[in-house]
Amino acid sequence: MQDLCSQVLKLLEKYFDQEATDKEKLLVEGHLQVCPACLDVLRSMEELRTLIKVPVEAAAREEDFPWVWQKIEREIRSQRKPTWLQSLRSRLDVSPLFKKKIWIPAVATLAVLLMITAQLIFKETPSYPGLSDVEYVESEDYNVMVYQSENQKVTVIWLFEGTEKGASPS
Amino acid sequence: MKRVFVHPIVLLILVLFSTSIALGQAQTRIRVIQASNIGHNIDPSLRDVYRELGSLFSFTSYRLLRDETLDLILNQPVTISAHPGRSMEVSLIGLRRDIAKLRIRVVREERDILNTEVRLLPGRTVLIGGPRHGEGVIIYAVSAHF
Repeated sequence: MQDLCSQVLKLLEKYFDQEATDKEKLLVEGHLQVCPACLDVLRSMEELRTLIKVPVEAAAREEDFPWVWQKIEREIRSQRKPTWLQSLRSRLDVSPLFKKKIWIPAVATLAVLLMITAQLIFKETPSYPGLSDVEYVESEDYNVMVYQSENQKVTVIWLFEGTEKGASPS
Repeated sequence: MKRVFVHPIVLLILVLFSTSIALGQAQTRIRVIQASNIGHNIDPSLRDVYRELGSLFSFTSYRLLRDETLDLILNQPVTISAHPGRSMEVSLIGLRRDIAKLRIRVVREERDILNTEVRLLPGRTVLIGGPRHGEGVIIYAVSAHF
């Protein structure tokens, strides 16, 4: 009996962890029915497990696992983050463009846009904003007066007949 | 591959075409007005310039004799009959984004009553006046849109 007890005790932990083979199970279970000493050992194992399990589960409930996961993710990201040089290279890398044939229409479109916007970019501003709108005036028969009203945006060219004043502005 | 080239080329041609048109044409409005001190009639079609006319001249009556809108093409003179015995030749001699340069000749019996070159900004008007007509004078209002 003593031999059997020592044999079962050796297997008891394995049985308790449900790692015993069917044959071992039969042996242990048969012995436990007739040996209260070995049964006590098994129960003490179960009690010990309960003692350990309860606080561990409580601790697990209290632990903030999402926060832990965030921390892990952050760590992973920081390890994966490329250097500024690598990121710059990847941004400046235009090789995919050359692999595809999209640069032809792209260049053509760019040229067209440039032509359209060139007029706006190189827009000529009047170089003579304060000067007269009349560049040149002559008359064979009349004396000429040029009057420019800045506020009213009107320029007047008035013709006086000979030496007599034909008509005159106010 | 051919298709890739066709679209941009067609687009390019269209842009060049429209740009050349835009750069080479200006719509010019010429109004021939008789101003006098007989009556107090203001032609309804002169309402847009009446404020300017009224502030510059002391005439009490403005009558529209002729209203012409010319699509001027660069360096292609257009002649209109200004008022009896006189004609006006207008040429677009320069066009930039914001300035149209016009040469205006008013001719009577093959003599230049007036020969001038003016710069016009969009929405700006040049008034040319003085020649007698009936009881009043003639005023030409020239404005350009481009």
